Amino acid sequence: MADIYIVLIVSLISWAGIFFYLIRLDLCLKKMEKRYEE
Amino acid sequence: MNLCKYLLGIWMILVLLGAFLYAPTALGLGHLSRIIYFHVPLAWVGVLAYFIAMLNSISYLKRGSLLNDQIAVVNAEIGLIFTLLATVTGAVFARYTWGVFWNWDPRQTSIFVLLLIYGAYFILRSAVEDEEKRARMASVFSIIAFISVPFLVFIIPRVYATLHPDPIISFESGFQMDSKMFQVFLASLIGFTGIYGWIASLYYRYLVIRTRIEGDLNNG
Repeated sequence: MADIYIVLIVSLISWAGIFFYLIRLDLCLKKMEKRYEE
Repeated sequence: MNLCKYLLGIWMILVLLGAFLYAPTALGLGHLSRIIYFHVPLAWVGVLAYFIAMLNSISYLKRGSLLNDQIAVVNAEIGLIFTLLATVTGAVFARYTWGVFWNWDPRQTSIFVLLLIYGAYFILRSAVEDEEKRARMASVFSIIAFISVPFLVFIIPRVYATLHPDPIISFESGFQMDSKMFQVFLASLIGFTGIYGWIASLYYRYLVIRTRIEGDLNNG
């Protein structure tokens, strides 16, 4: 049973990593789009 | 629009919590059955991405807009990555139920052929220099490649005897899934589709900026 909690925690950390990476990518693209429009 | 992204973040946290803590395990499989909440949505997104790639390839051949070709590439790439992830999760399931990661089961063979077909799509693209010619050839290939998807994903694994668990909805046994499992499964399908939409839009925006910059550089 303890194993399932370890898998859950690893999955949550992985998702957090992917999520913040995508958010950062989104912001970078927004900055580039803005700079390009100016 | 930003709110949707944060909602997706929370949604996927709930899906993970639901998959590991809320949904019961399937009889005989134990905790291993929880892989269904990731393996099937990954495969679903792969097929969806290939379908969108095919639609955009048809649009390119009709209208000749390179924009459609770019959307097709983005979707084919995402489809390939998600199919690869579905293959990996499937192999993990196989290891703990059948004893080996890979045994050329009809399901595994058909997904391998699918990966080869879409791998060839990118090899074809990299082999042609001329932009218009490349887009035209890749579009035709993408349409033909998608025709093989229903055969490889849905028909062949059902025709031949396979070790793969029965589909959730089958013609012989109808619908079979615990209601709690189904709730998490549906939520996962929605969540993964959302992630796909987000990645596709990011990738597309990146390609648009890159094309603009390259155009500007070429024009001096």
